[in-house]
Amino acid sequence: MSEQHGESREPREIPTAFAIAEALRIAMASDPNVILMGEDVAGGGRRPEGTEEIGGIMSVTRGLVTQFPNQVLDTPISEMGILGTAVGAAVTGLRPVVELMFIDFLGTCLDPLLNQASKFRYMFGGKARIPLTVRTVTGAGMQAAAQHSQSLYWMTAGIPGLKTVIPSNAADAKGLLLAAIRCDDPVIFCEPKGILFLSTDVPEGDYEVPIGKAKVVRAGSDVSLVGMGATVGMALQAAAELERDGISAEVLDLRSLAPLDEDAILATLARTGRLVVVDEATPRCGIASDVAALCVDKGFDMLNAPVRRVTAAMCPVPFTRVLEEAYMPSSARIVEAVRGLL
Amino acid sequence: MATVIAMPKLGMTMQEGTVVEWPPTVGDVVEKGRTVVVIESEKTQVDIEATDTGVLRHVYVEAGVTVPCGSLLGAITASMHEPFDAEAFRLEHDRPMRVATSSPGTRAQAPRESDVAVETRAARGGAAPVTPAARALARSLGIDVGGVAGTGPGGRVTREDVEAFASRRERLVEVAAGVSLEVLREGSGAAVLLLPGFGVGVASFAPQVQALAEAGAFEAIGLHPRGVGASDAPAGDVYDVATGADDAAALAATLGGPVHVVGASLGAAIALEMALRFPDRVRSLTLITPFVDVTPRLRAVADAWRALAREASTDTLSRALLPWLFSQRVLGDDRTRERMRRGLAIALSVATPDALDRWAAGLSAWSGSRSADLVKVAVPTLVIAAGADLLTPRGEALGKAIPGATVRVLESVGHAAATEAAAPVCEALLEHLRSS
Repeated sequence: MSEQHGESREPREIPTAFAIAEALRIAMASDPNVILMGEDVAGGGRRPEGTEEIGGIMSVTRGLVTQFPNQVLDTPISEMGILGTAVGAAVTGLRPVVELMFIDFLGTCLDPLLNQASKFRYMFGGKARIPLTVRTVTGAGMQAAAQHSQSLYWMTAGIPGLKTVIPSNAADAKGLLLAAIRCDDPVIFCEPKGILFLSTDVPEGDYEVPIGKAKVVRAGSDVSLVGMGATVGMALQAAAELERDGISAEVLDLRSLAPLDEDAILATLARTGRLVVVDEATPRCGIASDVAALCVDKGFDMLNAPVRRVTAAMCPVPFTRVLEEAYMPSSARIVEAVRGLL
Repeated sequence: MATVIAMPKLGMTMQEGTVVEWPPTVGDVVEKGRTVVVIESEKTQVDIEATDTGVLRHVYVEAGVTVPCGSLLGAITASMHEPFDAEAFRLEHDRPMRVATSSPGTRAQAPRESDVAVETRAARGGAAPVTPAARALARSLGIDVGGVAGTGPGGRVTREDVEAFASRRERLVEVAAGVSLEVLREGSGAAVLLLPGFGVGVASFAPQVQALAEAGAFEAIGLHPRGVGASDAPAGDVYDVATGADDAAALAATLGGPVHVVGASLGAAIALEMALRFPDRVRSLTLITPFVDVTPRLRAVADAWRALAREASTDTLSRALLPWLFSQRVLGDDRTRERMRRGLAIALSVATPDALDRWAAGLSAWSGSRSADLVKVAVPTLVIAAGADLLTPRGEALGKAIPGATVRVLESVGHAAATEAAAPVCEALLEHLRSS
């Protein structure tokens, strides 16, 4: 089975999906209280030999049930049931990781998150902990249409008491997921479609990427490109293109949307004076607007140009490839935005 | 859509103009490219052409009235039937520039800076977009951001613009009440003041600046005279050689102790004047292709120079001047000629036509006044004369008239000796500086 790469000593590039599986394996092996729940996360894994397991909607968890038969649980198709169960399990001592197939399904299970998981520690004076992780696929680019392609992380990031993280590469995905699982607060772990099957170098073994810390993934001096998830790759591509014109772009990967690493955003703004924030989500009430507001509020005297937001269009995600591409942010649109600032 | 007719700004120093005549009257058809209004500025009448075909719809400034550049003079509309609100149009398009008032000692109000402010305000359409970063930096440096030229999108003033303004300001040294001159420094050690020739900037001393800096014991201090580069350009008809010497001496006084003074051509005249009037501020004197009398040819070339500076590009000017400033040796070699021409164009680009007029007037007035005083030069002097100098051919004789002066004659070299014969000039200069 391909999951054996976890024991490999060779340097390796693996897809984000494998890196996530590796994190889950490490978490479950190091803590029997870590359980994995969701629709088809085991997916027939207990069937007679030879039957292919499903391993969740993106096959991320394929094979895990064989290794951890008591920690991987299939659930009925009821997001409210899954989340309600998970919150109860978390508050009574387990460390559940649930798979919400797509963040678009948030509406079917919002109350356990919005009014239970996010409030217990506060309302019980710190005596209750909710060490819950919700893994959920986000974003467009797979022609999954309007109900399976949204980037609704701005909703969870806007709820006090919930943490929301979104990796841009396989290595961060592994470290962020391990940090999320071991965090005593509920964490929404986004798995952007645009990076799930992209490979990067992933360190061996057990490591965590701290929640709440952004990372400069490319240093520059003329303009800051702030991205998250799949838009970090777009920003890096734009930066490479801008470099050919002699424009030096710094790229900041937010990694955490809640809490937001305000210091890192203001620090990159201080270095360049110009900032473009790139978000796969729709433009209203979103992370891009949050970052722009932060720059104007706390970074006003550092602004050497207007803050520009490159986001998806304010409309449902289109199904057809051509329209979906037009809907999404792109490196070309980032380059265009930067050129308008210099 | 109405078309704006505004008082143009035809030169760096033009601040206002007078409407002389409106050839069409309101309601007349005007054709694109035909004269719609005649204005006068600095005793010159200029026909202003219509930029669109239509009817002269409204006249805001009648003949005989003087207004600042940028003021709305009139409006052209496609026809008399087109809706047109004269007052609303005025509010939107009347953009009179701030007219500079001379107030000695206040840099922000010196004419040159106001010119910059005025142009940029106009370019910004009245409301000055300034980035917050630029505003904050300007505030911390005590700079009036209204005086900073914007280079960002749409003329926006950026942090970089304020930084550039500040670094220019740092290079300015006040040499007289309300007059600050641009000083460019390189290297460290004994101060060597470099005074460039007529109509050129310190760039004409590029090889010497490099040689001095590399020698390790000297600080090259290039001075842009009045009207050149970022130096102030006080109004007036004449920039006297004596005033130039006053300015240089005032700068020398800020440097502590006497300085080495190097001048070429007009710069040599100023250096000579400085050595005669302020001998205690001059440690040594180096005169490159100097003169005490303006020859008829020099006067004629200066006349052509001034005219071309007004009417032609710097590129054309450099081509026209090349044969007068360089020897046949340079002119005969395509690559050398082009290299020299490009360098000349850069050196020429910093002088305004007004500055040329004023310095030319100063030179004429000075000519002949110091012929008898050469014997009075009491500082160690090096005179570098050029054998093929068409403009100031009597450099060698001048050198011989200065008691104890070292005279070097560079055979087959033209007037721009510091550029054409960079190596021997640098060598002689360094030897002279080290022995003085």
